[in-house]
Amino acid sequence: MCVGLSAKVVKVDRGTALIDAQGARREISAELLSDLEPGDYVMVHAGIAIAKISATDTEESSQVLQGILNPNATSAQA
Amino acid sequence: MQDDVLTQAKSLLKAYAGPPLKIMEVCGTHTHEIFRLGIRQLLPPSLRLISGPGCPVCVTPVSYIDEAIYLALEKDVLLTTFGDLLRVPGSKLSLAQARQKGAQVRMVYSPLDALAIAKQEKREVVFLSVGFETTVPGECLAIKAAEEEGIANFSLLCANKTMPNAYQALAGSADAFLYPGHVVAIAGTQCCEELVAKGISGVVAGFTATELLTALACIVHESAKQKPFFVNCYPRVVKASGNQAAQKLIADYMEACDSEWRGLGVIKGSGLTLKEPFQHRDARLRFAIPKQPGRANPHCRCGEVLKGNILPTACSVFGRACTPEHPIGACMVSSEGTCAAYFQYGQG
Amino acid sequence: MERTVLLAHGGGGVQTSELIDSVFKAHFANPYFTADDAAVLPLGQERLAFSTDGFIVSPPFFPGGNIGKLSICGTVNDLACMGACPLWLTCAFVLEEGFPLADLERIAKSMAETAKEAGVTVVAGDTKVASKGQVDKVFITTSGIGRLASNVKTSGALAKDGDAILVTGDIGRHGAAILLAREEFGIEAEITSDCAPLWHLVQAIISKTTDIHVIRDATRGGVGTVLYEIAAQSQLGIAIREADLPVDPKVSGICRMLGLDPLYLACEGRLVIIAPEKHKAQLLETLRALPHGEGAACIGYVANTLKAGSVVVETAIGGKTLLPRPTGELLPRIC
Repeated sequence: MCVGLSAKVVKVDRGTALIDAQGARREISAELLSDLEPGDYVMVHAGIAIAKISATDTEESSQVLQGILNPNATSAQA
Repeated sequence: MQDDVLTQAKSLLKAYAGPPLKIMEVCGTHTHEIFRLGIRQLLPPSLRLISGPGCPVCVTPVSYIDEAIYLALEKDVLLTTFGDLLRVPGSKLSLAQARQKGAQVRMVYSPLDALAIAKQEKREVVFLSVGFETTVPGECLAIKAAEEEGIANFSLLCANKTMPNAYQALAGSADAFLYPGHVVAIAGTQCCEELVAKGISGVVAGFTATELLTALACIVHESAKQKPFFVNCYPRVVKASGNQAAQKLIADYMEACDSEWRGLGVIKGSGLTLKEPFQHRDARLRFAIPKQPGRANPHCRCGEVLKGNILPTACSVFGRACTPEHPIGACMVSSEGTCAAYFQYGQG
Repeated sequence: MERTVLLAHGGGGVQTSELIDSVFKAHFANPYFTADDAAVLPLGQERLAFSTDGFIVSPPFFPGGNIGKLSICGTVNDLACMGACPLWLTCAFVLEEGFPLADLERIAKSMAETAKEAGVTVVAGDTKVASKGQVDKVFITTSGIGRLASNVKTSGALAKDGDAILVTGDIGRHGAAILLAREEFGIEAEITSDCAPLWHLVQAIISKTTDIHVIRDATRGGVGTVLYEIAAQSQLGIAIREADLPVDPKVSGICRMLGLDPLYLACEGRLVIIAPEKHKAQLLETLRALPHGEGAACIGYVANTLKAGSVVVETAIGGKTLLPRPTGELLPRIC
């Protein structure tokens, strides 16, 4: 369910954003995210941006693993 | 660095020496990616992945396809749908087969594209509104725009579903859930956290190889503590509060209803349907669709597969009468379906 | 239910084979009837290759080509895959009433240019006009005759354990270009079809070595479908390395959007070449020096240790998984 596409925001015009996935572009709805700007990365599902993406999967996974292995460390090592 | 993280996650999994663990991936895209990436071969035999009911195509009852075909063939409606639904068998026909009999069926990428088609058409246009929390906001946006722009010939045939009550219905089926990343991205983590209090464990996972292996490693690590847990392993997309604009949109346009899941039966409050002010856009009411009894093939055991009670290979028609080219059950249709994944990726 | 022809019967996958086996093979069976791209026919001391191919493509004009160019490339490449130098072509048009003559002329012009590039002559043709709505704009069928080099013999059945599998460039670009040209999914990308005549590539490699087991053009159904056909014909297993598959980033972006696999998108200017591993470096060097061969890559190998008839993907993270079998009509996966 819910195939997601990670893509870069190229342009935002009111409720619509132009996104770019490796050179493939499409207009999608940006109505669910209030503060999108060109250069942001978003997760897109069925033509709707559902979330802003805050890191790469590698950075994220590294932090998650550090978090469970060293739960007491104050800051995660990326 | 990617290699380091992958290696670390893989070695955590390889080193697992605890009791056998059953992990249920609820999301069909997880099922698909786990097979595509060959992740099962990287796990020790004591870790068993089972596939749950998270493919909207697979849990959509036969009667829903019959309703859609009724609209196309009897009411001359132009159907718009995600490609996923096209080959799902109804009682007699799939949408693809109905197309040969003259049904007008168009594939779209987004519910908003279906609305754009309605704008150009004089005919009635119905969008086949399936999908979970992730997909519903797009369908609500289409209704919102149809209302605002006064596009009268557009309606939805709803079979939308929500996950929380389904987790509870499935609680005994697995030791831990791999929660569906994009559903939780919309709904937020609260539901998963509440399930911990009910003794249900799980992690929310992303969809890349790194994310999936990390999430599985996390389950293994947390299981050793022998108490229920929840970890957000997809924080780059999933925020604790979810997407509040999407939640509000759903609350504005849709309300909970009981819903039939193929194989699981009716689960209370697990469906969504249009609220009263928008019921003129509910295709079921608008076209007074007669009740479709929906006869599934009696040999099909998709229901037991969806609950994780049997493997697809235990079904007598699997791989013989039921193949991706000639599917009998929905789980063989969608490439996200458990049966199709087992068949295609040779786990049978 | 009455059995009828489905779109998936034309998809080049399992259902196409079923249709050929159950309907055509049953009636046409003879010693020359072939599952390869062209039949090889003896004529005196010579061996001829003979092939035919029908083209329906919507839309008829697309970035990187049109149905006319496609119809020349298709038959030229089918002949080339048998190791045959393409000589003569015929073409038959079915035109829809109302089709603009200017468009027809554009098609004819590009057919002539492509024929010249490929070194073939169009020697005869046929024209039929169908009333409006009976066909979609223009359908073209081309047939072609080529002469086989005396010492070249290629067939899917000849793949051997340990052979290297090469492709002559990035995969799936034609399928992606057509998908975009149909404007159904609102996606834009600067992608041109890979459509090209490829005899010069075959000529170059067989001049280096005739020890080549399989040459196939990966058209409808893509490289994945061709690999499954070869695995079935040779009764060997095939392994491909995910990390080594050449895919244009834009094509992979489109595939990610629509949940498609580039291995199943059509190519119209890409060969799959299977030859002993020892020739790999020389073949790649030869191909990469020629137009339409610049992106040549080795993507995998043939192995008798794998299940006969199977195609296995070695994934980038070190997993192994079967390549899903081709299922005919490509359906986007979204919800």
